[in-house]
Amino acid sequence: MSTVEERELAIHPIVVTSVQHNTQVVSNIRNLTASLFGVAAGTLGLESYPGFIFYLVGSFIVSALIFALRTDGKPGDYFHRPLGDMWGGDVFNGLSSFVLTWTLFYGLLRA
Amino acid sequence: MAILGTAFNAVGLIFLTHAVYSSSEHTAAFPHSPLPLDITIELIVSILVLSAGIVASSPQLKPIRWAKWGGKVAREGQRGEGRWTREGEEILSEGDGFAFLGLDNGIGGDGEGRRGFWDVRGKRKEYTAWVKKGGEN
Repeated sequence: MSTVEERELAIHPIVVTSVQHNTQVVSNIRNLTASLFGVAAGTLGLESYPGFIFYLVGSFIVSALIFALRTDGKPGDYFHRPLGDMWGGDVFNGLSSFVLTWTLFYGLLRA
Repeated sequence: MAILGTAFNAVGLIFLTHAVYSSSEHTAAFPHSPLPLDITIELIVSILVLSAGIVASSPQLKPIRWAKWGGKVAREGQRGEGRWTREGEEILSEGDGFAFLGLDNGIGGDGEGRRGFWDVRGKRKEYTAWVKKGGEN
């Protein structure tokens, strides 16, 4: 950690319980929406790269919704690193539940 | 906001179920033809509405800067998300797996229960008001 960042944290200390709470809320939203996008991708019959692109686009839309509805356009107040914690937070954790429902619904409807 | 989120969730779920059912019927009837445009549109609209509902019905985020967080606590009072008694004491039954037994107030409901933070200043204010009133019940 750089000295500048250390000094910044010394001037503006961070509440750890709030950070934990926010991370948990984001991770909850990601898990729920990831399986939802899997349902849609499987029903649309997407295969290979288009499916993953669909997931990335969907995650971006969800991030934008969090940005607009939960952080009131000021993600810096709620996340230490908005880019990694909100826009990219838990995107790859949700990938497994996405693939799970994707293959399930593809198998139910197409195969 | 919570009602809006629940409404979004309900509407989205109905449309999603309908779209998936239509798509299932369509592939059963015409196995190797692409999905019709109306089902695709319904599916995408339903997942957009559902994800908006999920985000809207999720709990509020908390500010992470100490100053803002402290300011919010000072403005809105020291209130946790848990349940509170009428005397202003927090019931610390979070994480109590046996809360459904209803024994928070002791067996038969006449015990002390589990007390958390005790609002000393609130109690003092209450006592002063009681003394000013003449000290009778």
